[in-house]
Amino acid sequence: MTALIEKETLIGKRVPKLDAPKKVTGAAQYIHDIELPGMLVGKIRRSERVHARIVRIDTTEAKALPGVHAVLTAADTPGVGLGHGKDNPPLKGDKVRCERDEIAAVAAETEDIAEQALKLIRVEYEDLPAVFSPAEALEDGAPIIHEQHPKNIPFTYDYHHGDVAQGEAESDVVIEDNYRLHFVTHCCMGVSGAIAQFDSEGNLTVHSQTQVPFLYKKEIAPVIAVPPEKIRVIQPVIGGAFGSKLDIYPFEPICIFLARATRRPVRVLFTREEEFLASPTRQPVELVLRSGVKSDGTLTFRNCRTLHDNGGYTSWGATTPFVIMQTISSLYRVPHCQYHTTVVYTNNPYSGSFRGFGNLQATFAVESHMDKLAEAVGMDPLAFRMHNAQQPEETTPQGMVFHTCGLSECLSITTEKSGFLAKHDANRETQAAPTRTGSAVKRGIGMASLLHVGGGAKIYRSDGCGTILKVDDHAHVTVITGSTEIGQGSETVIAQLVGEELGLPVSAITVINSDTEITPWDVGVHASRTTFIAGNSARGAARKARDKLLIAAGEKLKVDPETLDLRKGLVVRSDSGESLLELGKLIRSLHFARKAEVVMTSDYYEPPSVMQDSEFKGDVSASYAFGTQVVELEVDTGTGVIRILKVTSAHDVGKVINALSIEGQIEGGVVMGMGYAIAEHLIVKDGRMKNPSFRDYKLVTAPEIPVVDMHFIETNDPEGPVGAKGVGEAPAICTAAAIVNALYNATGVRFCELPLTPEIVLRGLKQCGGHCP
Amino acid sequence: MKCIKQEISFTLNGGAVCVDVPVTTDTLTMLRDRLKLTGTKYGCGEGECGACTILVDGVAVNACLMFAVDCHGRELTTIEGVQTEDGLSTMQRAFVSCGATQCGFCTPGLIMQGTSLLNRSPDISVEQIKRGIEGNLCRCTGYHKVIDAIATALDSNRSAPKEHS
Amino acid sequence: MANVERYEAPESLPELTQILAEGPATMFAGGTDVVPQMRVGARPVRPTLININRLADLRGISESNGVVRIGGLTSVADILDCAFLKQVASVVVQAADCFASGQVRNAATLGGNICNASPAGDMIIPLLVLDAEVELASWRNACVARRRMPLCDFFTGPGKTCIEDAEVLAAVQFPVPKPHTVGRFRKFGTRPALDIAVVSVGLAGVKENGCFKDARVAFGAVAPTPIRGRNTEAALVHVELDGDRISDIAQVAEQEVSPISDVRASAWYRTHLIRELMERMLHEVHQTRD
Ligand SMILES: Cc1cc2nc3c(=O)[nH]c(=O)nc-3n(C[C@H](O)[C@H](O)[C@H](O)COP(=O)(O)OP(=O)(O)OC[C@H]3O[C@@H](n4cnc5c(N)ncnc54)[C@H](O)[C@@H]3O)c2cc1C
Ligand code: FES
Ligand code: FES
Repeated sequence: MTALIEKETLIGKRVPKLDAPKKVTGAAQYIHDIELPGMLVGKIRRSERVHARIVRIDTTEAKALPGVHAVLTAADTPGVGLGHGKDNPPLKGDKVRCERDEIAAVAAETEDIAEQALKLIRVEYEDLPAVFSPAEALEDGAPIIHEQHPKNIPFTYDYHHGDVAQGEAESDVVIEDNYRLHFVTHCCMGVSGAIAQFDSEGNLTVHSQTQVPFLYKKEIAPVIAVPPEKIRVIQPVIGGAFGSKLDIYPFEPICIFLARATRRPVRVLFTREEEFLASPTRQPVELVLRSGVKSDGTLTFRNCRTLHDNGGYTSWGATTPFVIMQTISSLYRVPHCQYHTTVVYTNNPYSGSFRGFGNLQATFAVESHMDKLAEAVGMDPLAFRMHNAQQPEETTPQGMVFHTCGLSECLSITTEKSGFLAKHDANRETQAAPTRTGSAVKRGIGMASLLHVGGGAKIYRSDGCGTILKVDDHAHVTVITGSTEIGQGSETVIAQLVGEELGLPVSAITVINSDTEITPWDVGVHASRTTFIAGNSARGAARKARDKLLIAAGEKLKVDPETLDLRKGLVVRSDSGESLLELGKLIRSLHFARKAEVVMTSDYYEPPSVMQDSEFKGDVSASYAFGTQVVELEVDTGTGVIRILKVTSAHDVGKVINALSIEGQIEGGVVMGMGYAIAEHLIVKDGRMKNPSFRDYKLVTAPEIPVVDMHFIETNDPEGPVGAKGVGEAPAICTAAAIVNALYNATGVRFCELPLTPEIVLRGLKQCGGHCP
Repeated sequence: MKCIKQEISFTLNGGAVCVDVPVTTDTLTMLRDRLKLTGTKYGCGEGECGACTILVDGVAVNACLMFAVDCHGRELTTIEGVQTEDGLSTMQRAFVSCGATQCGFCTPGLIMQGTSLLNRSPDISVEQIKRGIEGNLCRCTGYHKVIDAIATALDSNRSAPKEHS
Repeated sequence: MANVERYEAPESLPELTQILAEGPATMFAGGTDVVPQMRVGARPVRPTLININRLADLRGISESNGVVRIGGLTSVADILDCAFLKQVASVVVQAADCFASGQVRNAATLGGNICNASPAGDMIIPLLVLDAEVELASWRNACVARRRMPLCDFFTGPGKTCIEDAEVLAAVQFPVPKPHTVGRFRKFGTRPALDIAVVSVGLAGVKENGCFKDARVAFGAVAPTPIRGRNTEAALVHVELDGDRISDIAQVAEQEVSPISDVRASAWYRTHLIRELMERMLHEVHQTRD
């Protein structure tokens, strides 16, 4: 009797990450662990000034130090700018504009020698007046940071739909508030670094932690004067990214310059202090939000103006308005909307992209306002949000099409599971209770929702990803994907999707994803796109392989391929599950046939999204993610300390592919969002970071974490792989907003600034707004 | 700064090691740069992140805070020495199956700290596990799955014989 | 910058003190302060580096003739785990529980914490309120000489103490607290332990019938050194505690500190916290039965 094989699915299973074994044994090779023969240590000399003309750099002594192989300054480089504004030359020759500025670099035999050499470089500066607040940088006569931008404004953004004047006229209540969001930074546990090496023909290999290997080649090529086709990017295992590795920062071209100058492999690695000083930050934003509502609870308009502190140079932080305006225009139905951002150069640190990309800032303001408006019209926070929530198949005035939309479900399940309404009312009763010692602790509950792209974001002409897939003679599958694994678990999800199509366990699948010489093109990891885009592409390639295998099996077995299925490494009859042929055997028979063939397929998935038009309108993502979080907290009104007790979260994930991985994303995101709200604060004073260490920059630690109660709303997105949407960024987005709403519920005091660290909270509660004696 | 070297010998993951190190070098630098054991990670170099956690005479310490010369005569276990003859240790298996590793950079340190908790007292509460890993930073997981993993390993160790560190 | 020309790892006190007598040396115990300080160049390097970790005699907690003795090399983890201390002087154990992380506690020593002389040093505060003395040893006239001094006189500034170059802190000792002694330590922070104290407060005294017969108070991170709160102590003894009195005493505490502002907190906030912590601590001890 032949065995009957049941159909088993890999979708929704708790599949451990494929790379976990090498990570738990210490075998995973990060940039810090790679050793190349003859490799030199590269180190960077940074500016001691925040705004100064460089009068002279003298490297004579440093060059003379035994063991030093190269000392470079701007004079040794092409001087082409990096970044979104192309305003950031890797080594600065004329002037420095912020604390982290790179002015010289050394390659030496050892770390000690390199460090000694840095100290021997003599730099003469001529200080320039500096400016540290965007508002002041806009004033007439303010110091000019970049001569080509005499007003210090590299970019502005304007968006509108409807007519806010009309919206305002229709409103029964109008409110306006100023929000101020602070500097925080990624704090990837693995510090930044790169290794560069040229071969004898001038081909460059870079070991880079970049999240965008293919764009990297194109962007770095003019800066280092090496054509893209001569650049190979190999990505080691990456010790955390969260957006920090989306742009190219000066240390990478500097590493390449050093490798070229010494004709040796060179590695540049940061210390933790350097990581703080020379990594991008989250975009600090000053935001004025004006919103209106009718007495029946219908939103009428939003008018938002923001000031972005761009720091000394332009990286991705300057483009966060793309995402901020989405939330302003389309988180809940807003008939009339106007949005303006002015991006302003200062002598502060500059910002890059960071998980959520402006959305934490925007959601903080919008969801604070939602609570305020609800209260103003006498509705509870839930009913008010429900009333204004979008529904599936809606198109927002900005042109986003919500084919699926689980916002209402997210709202109802989180509030129901947390007992939101009853607690919200009860806490309000005790707001005014006496706060003397003993009863100083008050409880609060608050909610916030989010909208974020969930199917990529078409910010380039293509938002696609390629896959090459081959099945070997023992039915082992190699998936070569353009996408990048940064710890988020994309490899595993890709393996599950491929295994699902080919009826194979994930153990039969190897995912290759880290070498531009091998992998096909992809835009990179950002915009929560990997599961969606790379997943669809891998699935496409797997389907082609499946078709090919079934046709071959049909021919061999002389049956209609339509009646066959692939299960557990076998070709089976799909109706009965009767096992007919071993998959490996089938493939070997193809290899040994007279007209031999290999099973190798490829696929390029391009999502059906479009680039925004000149008014920032258009369906920029193939799918949108929604979520709601309810936060319960305690605040000690005697000390200002907040403890987050519980976060009830619901996310519209389309479809759960891997529960283990998606839970991990949500738990990690919630804790990151909580850190943003109550713990993390990069203190920048007069352009200088005051706390560049984990001792004084507080990440959340294990004893501080809340209970996280997670719910997944499966809306089965028609375009997503098996219905899934991207949710990499979403969980971090609305936590801070829910926290500030909960703090209001506990105390009756509205905070419009972050972070909510104890002293700031206490000052706020004492209503002395920073002017305490 | 110039500094003399000192010859030291100690047991590393069960084998004898003899090296000479500059007397001001820390143990993390010795392990990574000199002995090429790169499983132990540098995250901060100042005791705040726990990525460099190793066991010295069975006790968890930050390798970045320990003078290498102080290893003389002691028994060191690093992440490379945790595996048993049958493969992954209970703690390592639990980290895999519970999804406790994402980017994985914090993982070796957390496994060493988890192993030390497990060796110390098999019966500890979730709150004690949280306190037990207060010196380990993880930016990816939010710690929940890490705590699950350690609790799972403690559970399975209660029913199984004590594991060698 | 000086070079390190010699390394020693003595195993006995006579050996150590003789090496110390030979010239300027840097000692390390757990290394948790010295290693990072050396790495960033925050510590002048001396020609001799001495590893004092191998002096078994300097490790351990004991009691004899009504005096508790804790060796200078005793680790904070050993203090935290010590059942005897928990019973007779729990305030020291409370401080150990608020100290750093598991890994750091395993390495960090009591002597290192005291000699590092940080105004925020957590183990110093409970020892101040227990009226501890430090025992300093050196090589004199061909043998180990010891001198004692009250811990409260030991500190002269941030990172500065009365210890001489040729001395080592051999032990700390304090009288076994009398019956009915209550002791409390509080450190302000958002984490249970891994935090440099923004402020800390210690209190110990004999409490009978709701009233302190004697009391010692100490504050951390509010002055260049850890300090005793003499005015607060005076306000506290022999008074019948109640809500109003507690509030008055907390106000005395607030008035006797003059902290600075830094990245961790403003002077205003630190002062406020002293009052708040003092008040809470007194309410708590007031509510617990004698
Ligand atoms: C991550 C981290 C967290 C920390 N958290 C805290 C905390 O919460 N609370 C706190 O108080 N401290 C904390 N510290 C500081 C540090 O751990 C303590 O000060 C520790 O007790 C120092 O002990 P050690 O043995 O490591 O000293 P070492 O670093 O070896 O020495 C410190 C100093 O004391 C001298 N010294 C050491 N022993 C003796 C002796 N017996 N006689 C004479 N001199 C001696 C040394 O020469 C040196 O000058 C923390 C440190 C780190 C790295
Ligand atoms: S590297 Fe040792 S604790 Fe961070
Ligand atoms: S898994 Fe990335 S830091 Fe912990």
